[in-house]
Amino acid sequence: MSAATFLHRVCPTTGLKVDANAEKLIKANAVVATVALLVGGITAILVVLTRWQAVHLLDAVWFYRALTVHGMTMLIFFILFFEMGVLYFAGPVLLSSRVPAPKLAWGSFWLMVVGTLLVQWTMWTGRADVLFTSYVPLRAHPAFYGGVILFAVGCIGVVCLYFASLVVAKREKAYTGSVPLITYGASTAAIIAVITLGHGAAIYIPTFFWSLGWMEVDPQVYRMVWWGLGHSSQQINVAAMVSIWYLLGGLTVGAVVVNEKVSRTAFVLYVLFISMASAHHLLVDPGFGSAWKVWNTSYFMYMAVLASMIHGFTVPAGIEMGQRLRGYTRGMFDWLRRAPWGDPGFSSLIFSIVVFGFVGGITGVTIGTEQINIIVHNTLRSPGHFHSTVVSGTAMAFMGVTYYVIPLIFRKQIAFWPLARIQPYLFAGGMLVFSIAMTFAGNFGVPRRTWDITYTNAPFDYQFSPVADLMLGITALGGIVAAIGGGIYILVTVWSVFFGKPLEIGAPENAPLRSPPRREEPAPALAEL
Amino acid sequence: MPLYGVPQGVKNPPRHSLSYEERVEFLHDGERHWMGPAPGTFVLVFVFLAAFATYFFVNWKMLSFLWQIG
Repeated sequence: MSAATFLHRVCPTTGLKVDANAEKLIKANAVVATVALLVGGITAILVVLTRWQAVHLLDAVWFYRALTVHGMTMLIFFILFFEMGVLYFAGPVLLSSRVPAPKLAWGSFWLMVVGTLLVQWTMWTGRADVLFTSYVPLRAHPAFYGGVILFAVGCIGVVCLYFASLVVAKREKAYTGSVPLITYGASTAAIIAVITLGHGAAIYIPTFFWSLGWMEVDPQVYRMVWWGLGHSSQQINVAAMVSIWYLLGGLTVGAVVVNEKVSRTAFVLYVLFISMASAHHLLVDPGFGSAWKVWNTSYFMYMAVLASMIHGFTVPAGIEMGQRLRGYTRGMFDWLRRAPWGDPGFSSLIFSIVVFGFVGGITGVTIGTEQINIIVHNTLRSPGHFHSTVVSGTAMAFMGVTYYVIPLIFRKQIAFWPLARIQPYLFAGGMLVFSIAMTFAGNFGVPRRTWDITYTNAPFDYQFSPVADLMLGITALGGIVAAIGGGIYILVTVWSVFFGKPLEIGAPENAPLRSPPRREEPAPALAEL
Repeated sequence: MPLYGVPQGVKNPPRHSLSYEERVEFLHDGERHWMGPAPGTFVLVFVFLAAFATYFFVNWKMLSFLWQIG
C-alpha cells in the first residue's frame, strides 16, 4: 500500500489527508479516555468530600480505595489513552500519511483496554488498596500488576507504530523537509514514553512475580525505579501538552512559531533531562545521599524547567505575533483583549498556559529544592502543585483540543455550545481555587493521603490551626466547581460524538482513493507549524 | 452549512493579512518596538519572573523560621 492508495479523506479546514484507520483509532482512544475521565472525576468528588472534615463522606477503607482509583485512572488511563490519540494525530494525520500496521494498532488498543479493565476490577473489588504508588511491601492482587503490564505493552505497541509511521511517511514522501513542530513535540513525548515504559517494565514485572510469592523486591529499589515510571509518565503529558499548545495557537488565532530551532531545542532538553526530575519524589528518602538528590533535582531538573520556560515564552509570543499579523496591533495588549475568548479551544489554551506556568511551574521548582522540600513533603502542598500542572495544565489543554477534534475528526457539531463556551472558565477557575487552597492547607501541615486529620481514637492528639479546616472547605468547593466543569465537558463531548449533528464540511467518508492533496489555501498558521 | 456549535478556528480559520515575506519583515523589524515583535509577552514574562522570585524568597524565609539553626 503506498501513500497514494490508502483509504483517506481530505480535511477541508486544514488540508490534511486523514487516514481512515488513524481516524477510527483516534476516536476509539478519545472515547475510552473520556470514560476514564468520568470514573476519575466521580472518585475525585468522593475523595475531596471526604477530605473536607465537615462532610467526611467515605469511611477509611473506601477513602483509600477511591483515592487509588482516582490516581490510577486519571494519571495513567485517562492521560495515556488521550496521548495515544495525540500520537495517531501527530504522526499519520499531520504528516498526511497512514498507520503502518492497523491490525497491530487495534491489538495494542485492545491490550490497553483489557489491562485497564483488569486494574479497575482489582481496585474496585478491594484487591488493590495500594494507592497510585503501590509501594512495596503493600501487596495487591497479581492481576493488578498484570493489568498494568498489559496496558504498558499496549502503549509500547502504539509508540512503536508512531515511530514506524514517521519512517513510512518519510519513505513515501508524504512530506518534505523536517517534520512539523507538533510532530516533533509528539516525538519527544513518544521518546519519553519509551523511557517511562522501560522503567515500568523494570519494576512491575519483578513486583508481579513478588505478588505471586516467587521473589523478593527491595522497597527502596522499588521506590527509585517506580518513580522513573510514575513521574516520567507525567512528562509525556508535558511534551504532549506543549505540542497541543502550539497546535491550538495555530488553529485558534493563527499563532506563528517564533523560532523553530529554539522550540525544537527546548523539546530536546525535555528528553535529556526530564527523567531526572523523578528524583524529587525521593528528596526526604533516607536511603539516598544528598549529592544524588541535589544533582538530579537542582541541576538536571532545572534544564527541563528551562525548556518549559522557553515554551512558556514562545507559545504566548507566537499567539501575540499571530494576532498582530491579523491586524490587532494597537497598544501592548490589544492582541490579548481582542482574542476569541468565547472559543473554548482558545480559552482552554490560555488557562492551561497560565495556571501550568504561574501556579504549577513556580510551586514545582520551589518545592523541588531539597531544603524547601523538607517543609512540604507529604503535605497537601504536593497535590496542590501537581493538580495545577496535570489537571489545570495537561487536562485543560486536552479538553481544549477536543473542541477541535470533534468537528475535524468526528465531524460533528459541538452540542450544548453555550455550555461548552463556559466550560473552560468553570474548570480552570475551580481548579485554580482548589490548587491554591490545597497548597495553603499544606502550609499549615495538613498531610496528604490521610483519611482523618482529627485523628479520632488515635493514641495521640494533634490540633491543626482552624485555618486548615477553612482551607480544606475552600478546596472542596473549588473541586466541586471544577467537577461541574469536568461534567459539562463529558456531557458535551459524549453527546456531540454519539448524538451530535453531523458537520458537512468535509468530503464524504471513505472518499475515492486519490493522490496526496494539493493544499490550495490551508490555514496559514497550521501550514507553517 | 449549519455552523452553530463550531469553534471559530474551524468555522473561520485565522488568516494573516500579509504575505509570507511581508510577515517575516514585519515580525523582525527591530525599529518597530524596543521590546521586539511581541512586547506584550515581554511584559508578561517579567511579571512571571517577579512572581517566581517572590514565591521562591518567601519559601526560603519560611524555611528559615521553621527550621531555625542555633
